[in-house]
Amino acid sequence: MGNKQTIFTPEQLDAYQDCTFFTRKEILRLFYRYRDLAPQLVPLDYTAKPDVTLPYQLIGSMPELKDNPFRQRIAEVFSEDGDGNMTLDDFLDMFSVLSEMAPRDLKAYYAFKIYDFNNDDYICKSDLEKTVNKLTRNELTPEEVNLVCEKVIYEADADNDGKLSLEDFQHMIVRAPDFLSTFHIRI
Amino acid sequence: IFHGFYTEEKLVGNLASMSTSERIKEIQKMPENMKKKRDIRNKVLKEITKNSRHHRTQLSCSAQCLQGVVVPLRRLGNNLSEYCHQLHFFHKTLKVIGAEFGTSVLSYFIFLKWLLTLNIISFLINFSFITIPQFLAAEPNNLVFTGLELLTGAGYFQQTVLYYGFYTNATIRKAENGPSYNMQLAYIFTVGIYFVICFLILLFSMAKSFCRNFINPQTYSGNASKLLCTWDFNITNEKAVKLKQKNLSTQIKEELTEVNQEVLNFSVSERLLRVLIHLASWAASLGAAVAACAAVYFLSINNLKLFMEGQKNDLESQAAMLVLPVVVSLLNTFIPFFYSWLGHLERFQTPGQQIYVTITRNIILKISVVGILCYYWLSIVAAAESQCWETLVGQDLYRLLLVDFIFCLLGSFFGEFLYRIIGTAVCGSLGLPEFDIGRNVLDLIYAQTLTWIGILFSPLLPAIQMIAFSVVFFVKKVSLMLNCQPPRKVWRTAQMTTSFMFLLFFPSFLGVLAVIGITVWRLKPSEGCGPFRGLSSMYAAVSEWIKVLESYTASKWVVWIYHNLITSELFFFVLSTLVLIITYLYWQIIEGRKTMTKLLQKQILN
Repeated sequence: MGNKQTIFTPEQLDAYQDCTFFTRKEILRLFYRYRDLAPQLVPLDYTAKPDVTLPYQLIGSMPELKDNPFRQRIAEVFSEDGDGNMTLDDFLDMFSVLSEMAPRDLKAYYAFKIYDFNNDDYICKSDLEKTVNKLTRNELTPEEVNLVCEKVIYEADADNDGKLSLEDFQHMIVRAPDFLSTFHIRI
Repeated sequence: IFHGFYTEEKLVGNLASMSTSERIKEIQKMPENMKKKRDIRNKVLKEITKNSRHHRTQLSCSAQCLQGVVVPLRRLGNNLSEYCHQLHFFHKTLKVIGAEFGTSVLSYFIFLKWLLTLNIISFLINFSFITIPQFLAAEPNNLVFTGLELLTGAGYFQQTVLYYGFYTNATIRKAENGPSYNMQLAYIFTVGIYFVICFLILLFSMAKSFCRNFINPQTYSGNASKLLCTWDFNITNEKAVKLKQKNLSTQIKEELTEVNQEVLNFSVSERLLRVLIHLASWAASLGAAVAACAAVYFLSINNLKLFMEGQKNDLESQAAMLVLPVVVSLLNTFIPFFYSWLGHLERFQTPGQQIYVTITRNIILKISVVGILCYYWLSIVAAAESQCWETLVGQDLYRLLLVDFIFCLLGSFFGEFLYRIIGTAVCGSLGLPEFDIGRNVLDLIYAQTLTWIGILFSPLLPAIQMIAFSVVFFVKKVSLMLNCQPPRKVWRTAQMTTSFMFLLFFPSFLGVLAVIGITVWRLKPSEGCGPFRGLSSMYAAVSEWIKVLESYTASKWVVWIYHNLITSELFFFVLSTLVLIITYLYWQIIEGRKTMTKLLQKQILN
């Protein structure tokens, strides 16, 4: 062990360790995964805090994400510019929330943002329709999609405003104990 | 903006007043991006140094010395936890399995890995405190090693550290007036402390599992959570993702059409018929379990008779010793198929019910078989006129575990490999087999129960089980990747994992504690072998030691603890009453919170 790495200063590593659920070794391993996506863009020395952003195409081609139907939304939610282009900070943040040590409330918050396609802080019917289509690969007819969305809103909407707020979503999560283990990407 | 700045100041102040670990947890939990979190962290650290600089002049010397000790200790703790994280063996394997088959099948492998770790800990504890000292005082082994011992556990192995009978009851002393090691006390205390450690580990794992996964069964909803909360992000294999999407769309279509079928009303005669069918299958399954127990009982009595009659070491008598384990494993393999078939015959209302009922029947079968075997060992073998009954029990357990391991491997081969060949080549409609999670987990729990029973009689069983579990892990993984398809039906992973952990604790571990308790307190150890020879019970070693301690004034407190806390009934009565009171209070608090939730829900609706 020891501080033989020269990528980060000890203060930077300490900050990463305090702000994510990863240990030092895992942070370094994730850095190498990030760098492997584009070795010519990512420098090996982050002590000067370079401003490097990897485009969404590279992030979306990672083996952990490339077949996930929600990969674009995940990248958009965790990226700083909202377009899916991620810095190292965003990358670490993403996998920290998706790791198994993250608590349920944190995961629920980000899952809500992922399913909120129009970013209006509510999951409305159109968001649900997009979700259902992504989940079933467009195999349902529009009437079936409509029926399903109406059922979901009827079941989960507690304040009857026709859309799901964060509290409704969290209330639903409490009744789904599998959520913690399924909202998890192992890296 | 001004409002935001003010709340941030309050947040920084709050965080600065917490302890370090709490503060780190709070920062990690914040739903902000990395830049914001780093900002807040730096502000908090500045605040802390400002406060400590302000207070440093007021800190006394002792507090500063305490700080000088606490900080390096915390760093040591961090380094240790990093090393533990590095011991993530099987990480890549688990990732590959989860990628293709999802969380439900992954839960079996995680459970297997957890049991493997438990066995490694058992092996380390027992080996270092019981076996290594025994090596120093070992008697020479005059028997001949033939290869057959690996299968039967008898013969050469009888005079090795594998069994209880070999251990000495003397106090091991390397040099005159050197440090001595009392084998009797070491044996009973190691086993005792090991079970206490296991109890604590199981209790904490179970509590953690309950805490994460507890669900109020009344409020389980169908559609909404299924849609939004159960997409398995673990699956990263393209084919598996497509399959899961197809399954989900099929399920949704089925549920949409089932809306009409919910109002099915059975006529009285049909309902009566269904009840009769259920009763008949329960009778059949319980009958099968009773028949299995009777068969095991008579075979084992026969086994003992054979063993007592002839001591010949030829092939025939060795083979006769294997009949009991093979029959037990055959019963454990084929009766569950009978139960599955019964489950298909009865038409349950939901597939979930079918899974639960089948698993319950399997549990009853396995508990009864283990129960009958324990009864046989404790009542009959212990009272028989044999030279060393503990070693006999140890050998039985060794054979049972070994044959169970072989049947597990064979089951993988026949159950999955041949099924695939038949399913794809011969009878195309069957398709690939699915991995039967419930049955495999119950097999693991059964093997672990036998290992726990055997620790007193054969201290090296955890080592054997360690090797067995590792082999099973790889064989199951290879068989899974080659032969199986991802599961089609919904398997409530979190609930099942919690139930299996609970099963490991409640009938399995507590049952083993009962068996060990009876052995230690009531049974007379054999006269001619083992560390407790000549005593009236194994526990007598402790009471005799206390009597010896009474003569030393320095250890009067140990004697006091023994007489007033461990052997006094009043203490346990008071302790039990306290535990019951605390449990009742917590239960009432939970009930109160449930009522509050209902009231608040009503308020939101109105």
